[in-house]
Amino acid sequence: METNPIALDESEEGVVVVLVEGEHDIYTAPTLRERLEEALGRGGGVVVDLTGATFMDSSILGALLDARRRAQEAGTGFVVYVDADVEPGVQRILDITGLVPVLPVVNGRDDALAAVRETQDPPAAASPG
Amino acid sequence: MIERPEVRLSMPARAEGVGVVRQALAGMADALAIDPGILADMKMAVTEACTNVVVHAYTDREDEGASGTLDVDLLADEAALTVAVRDEGSGLDSPGGKPALGLGLPLIAALSDEFEVRDRDGDGGTEVLMRFLYTREQDPAEAHPIGETGWEPPVDPE
Repeated sequence: METNPIALDESEEGVVVVLVEGEHDIYTAPTLRERLEEALGRGGGVVVDLTGATFMDSSILGALLDARRRAQEAGTGFVVYVDADVEPGVQRILDITGLVPVLPVVNGRDDALAAVRETQDPPAAASPG
Repeated sequence: MIERPEVRLSMPARAEGVGVVRQALAGMADALAIDPGILADMKMAVTEACTNVVVHAYTDREDEGASGTLDVDLLADEAALTVAVRDEGSGLDSPGGKPALGLGLPLIAALSDEFEVRDRDGDGGTEVLMRFLYTREQDPAEAHPIGETGWEPPVDPE
């Protein structure tokens, strides 16, 4: 079993949730980039769950910012979320870098799913409205 | 270099070593009963300094298999923990150029109570010295906001 897993949760319709758990830095950033790539490749919205992350550094922020840019280019929704129990160090790096409104970072999975579906370009035909 | 550090780590400058440095830091902080919030700042700042060594210090070396060294000293005095992160690389003007995000030094400034980056005498390389007070009168992130370092988050194209 991996100590610091990054998994894709595809149980939500039209959205892939990337679960980031444990400690993440320059060593695991390439894995995160791969998973984000995979999630973006599904064509729907992408939500990143940081509620289980215990540490992250600027390499991880770089991976998230790159994924956000690629999502924007593709017209795909991209939202990061934490919750009230998020590791203080994770919240702090998001706060002091001013990235909360940029990524953006919202509170809780429901808000993240709602936000990503809102920013998502409507699919060509499938959606009723 | 710190004279007579409590802990001296020396390892190949590879990505997997940065987590080992954080473990050592956490062990030291535990022994000193350091506030968890201050430990979180230490971990982040020291991680950024070590990452700079791993990513930038040895970019001019031709043989990728032979990485240089990452050296870390920890010294606890009555008021603060001092951490020195050293490399034997080509210095701050190395051809590795600008880091991907450029956030390393701004984060170190925002999360430590004092810091200094200096060229090492004689044998080359760079040393980053960081000092973390056990009790803070001011949040260093307020004293040295990242927004004042010239670093800016990316702006949307529209």
